[in-house]
Amino acid sequence: MRALQGLRGPRAPSLPLLLLCFLAAVRRSLEDGLSTAAPFTSLPVQEEMMTEYSNLSLESHNLSVTAAPITSLPVKEEMMTKAAPITSLPVQEEMRTKAVPIISLPVQEEMTTKYSNLSLESHSISMTAMPMKENNKGNQICVDRGIMLQRNVTLVERPNMPVEKNITLERPSNVELTCQFTPSGNLNSVNVTWKKGDKLLEDNYLVNTTGSILYTQYRVAIINSKQMGSYSCFFGEKKQQRGTFNLKVPEINGKNKPLITYVGDTVVLICKCQDCLPLNWTWYSGNGSVQVPIGIPVNDKYVISGKHANETKLKITQLSEDDQGTYWCHAIFELGESEGHVELVVLSYLVPLKAFCAIAAEVVLLVAIILLFEMYTQKKKKPSDDGKEIEQGEQLKLDDSNGIENSGPRHRKNESVGQ
Amino acid sequence: MTTPKPTGPPDGGWGWVVAAAGFAVNGLSYGVLRSLGLAFPDFAEYFDRNAQETAWVSALALAVQQAASPVGSALSTRWGARPVVMVGGILTSLGFVFSAFAHSLLHLYLGLGVLAGSGWALVFAPALGTVSRYFSRRRVLAVGLALTGNGASSLLLAPALQLLLDNFGWRGSLLLLGAVTLHLTPCGALLRPLALPGDPLALPRSPLAALGLGLFRHRAFLVLTLGTALVGVGYFIPYVHLAPHALDRGLGGYGAVLVVAAAAVGDIGARLLCGWLADQGWVPLPRLLTVFGALTGLGLLAVGLVPVVGNEDSWGGPLLAAAGVYGLSAGSYAPLIFCVLPELVGIGNVVQATGLVMMLLSLGGLLGPPLSGFLRDETGDFTASFLTCGSFVLSGSFVYLGLPKALPSCRPASRPGTPPPEMGELLPVPQIALLSPGDPHSTLDTTC
Repeated sequence: MRALQGLRGPRAPSLPLLLLCFLAAVRRSLEDGLSTAAPFTSLPVQEEMMTEYSNLSLESHNLSVTAAPITSLPVKEEMMTKAAPITSLPVQEEMRTKAVPIISLPVQEEMTTKYSNLSLESHSISMTAMPMKENNKGNQICVDRGIMLQRNVTLVERPNMPVEKNITLERPSNVELTCQFTPSGNLNSVNVTWKKGDKLLEDNYLVNTTGSILYTQYRVAIINSKQMGSYSCFFGEKKQQRGTFNLKVPEINGKNKPLITYVGDTVVLICKCQDCLPLNWTWYSGNGSVQVPIGIPVNDKYVISGKHANETKLKITQLSEDDQGTYWCHAIFELGESEGHVELVVLSYLVPLKAFCAIAAEVVLLVAIILLFEMYTQKKKKPSDDGKEIEQGEQLKLDDSNGIENSGPRHRKNESVGQ
Repeated sequence: MTTPKPTGPPDGGWGWVVAAAGFAVNGLSYGVLRSLGLAFPDFAEYFDRNAQETAWVSALALAVQQAASPVGSALSTRWGARPVVMVGGILTSLGFVFSAFAHSLLHLYLGLGVLAGSGWALVFAPALGTVSRYFSRRRVLAVGLALTGNGASSLLLAPALQLLLDNFGWRGSLLLLGAVTLHLTPCGALLRPLALPGDPLALPRSPLAALGLGLFRHRAFLVLTLGTALVGVGYFIPYVHLAPHALDRGLGGYGAVLVVAAAAVGDIGARLLCGWLADQGWVPLPRLLTVFGALTGLGLLAVGLVPVVGNEDSWGGPLLAAAGVYGLSAGSYAPLIFCVLPELVGIGNVVQATGLVMMLLSLGGLLGPPLSGFLRDETGDFTASFLTCGSFVLSGSFVYLGLPKALPSCRPASRPGTPPPEMGELLPVPQIALLSPGDPHSTLDTTC
């Protein structure tokens, strides 16, 4: 049974929201399944190394690229990890504060002591490449020494498609990126390279092997926005396998649906991000591709505020139709800038007013038709009746009218009848 | 000269138009109120308040509507249902238009809560009472038909309101909802006054008399009100808490939606089915009321006692069945509570009695959901809540046993097909002087 916190009182939680949370949780667990590369335990040696970085957050990222021999077929992540009892490698994302650097890394230690006041972050991605012949791309037939073996395998990733991981970084940190690769052939014949974007990286990375798995780890201290971007590890075997880490600043959420307001009204535009703490927020209004800053000079029309650091509010008063358009909020981090947008629509009151008047006119027409129809049908009855019906018609007409004085004669009539 | 006398209820003809008007009135009052929740996130964002404070808007409107119902029925006793409903429509529309220009949440409370709520108070009881007056043999069916209006309306209004919100924002949507609710006025125009044999001779002299408080002097009506007050405590709880309960029991999002849908479909279908069934006259209405009230209580107990579902993807069979039983019983109960009134108080007092019954249901409706929420917070799940509300409903149904004809009598049952008693025959003392010869005597038909 799911434990549901926050269900208090008679308010019913909105079901679509719960459904979305449920889906997000499922997706997250799927993603994390990929990242359970190996069940590592942190060794005491590594603990010593960790004290240096004790004031830092640890980010180590793993990518596992496997071109496995057919017999082992580590198609599923779990299978692969079981086949590789690794003892010294960066681990799951949950072990954020326990860095597990590769033991033989004196070189990299020296490098990172320079930036020892920065946080160390380790992230891991796991990816698996299928060892297939070209004509078997996408289907699940494996060939072993010429014998076709058909198995029910679940492909986690398609072969030769790059495996990517998005990493969100807010402030400067040391980053450790690790790729695992299980080659199908000889370990030593694999060519390992790292690239940032298209530029080949010469140093700061290490290659190690344990058993039949090849590891490479790249460490870099990210201190400015130029160092953000895509870092890729390449394993050159028969086909080149590639894993990519995308380093980005946190995303900002504005609003997807346009905000509809009216002339003379006041509106508050909100931008926020999940867990981030930007240094500063700025607002721009966009006309086409040109962005014009808002709030400079400071005036009454625009007021920028924000209760918490992870959100910003722009209050616009005295709206007019010129204020319509897209508004951009920029969050400035040490490592770059991120933006979100909110669309504002300003309508004149005449727009719904016209519809209102049309519907009101229709209502008046309906009432008139109903009452006229009733009078018409009663008049129709009258001429063809004898006296009895006329009295009844009169009685009905009297019923129609409001007022106490008319009820007098009616009751008198009834009383006379009743005797 | 033969004297014209008011004939009995037409039981058709213009009555069906009145039933359609009742359907529309129900849809334009409760249906709009239910769908209004769609706009709450926009209110909360604009006025920078949390969800609970914005939810008070509809809670206030509902409270005003139900509590002020006797005022609506009193006014229509004085002046007829038609003008009262027409004025109520204008009042509701004004409330929406006023709230379209709101600059604080208080304006919304006043506009939607007080003004629109008062307008709705003026329309519901008179319209429903008039439907009752136009039918005798097919009364329960006609009233059941009218009561399906709010379900159908919320099905239509919910996507329409979302469309309005996306295109006109909340201000424009409230303005246009004002235009939509203005249609209550033509519905009122359709409520042609009808003179019936049981109508009181003299108009009530004082406002207090108009409220119909004199009806409380009669034991049968007193029994009904007591039972209804008890039932009202438990009746509305599933409206609020069925979905969270389903989620608590381990169903996924779609499973909970299915449970709520089962209850809703059962409710709507039962209103019509029970309407047809009750009109056949095989079982006296008070007995049906007791039976379905008891079934509703049992259904609620079942819903509360359903075990935890192991797998989130399962259909939630037991809960689905219990919710269906609850929906069917509650749906059958709804038209019956209004249709048993002519027997107890006479067709002339139906409108007043409807208003009073609405007020009593509202008292329960104000107590029930907060009590249920409190129990849930204390005990951790909704079992205690549903058990409590089920027992309230059961005790109310037990009280209904005191109604005349609720228990099987020793005399042979009247032939099916005779018109249902509507002259207040079940009153111990004849309240109304019957004029025309040939009317059945006032008899007290209880157990032997």
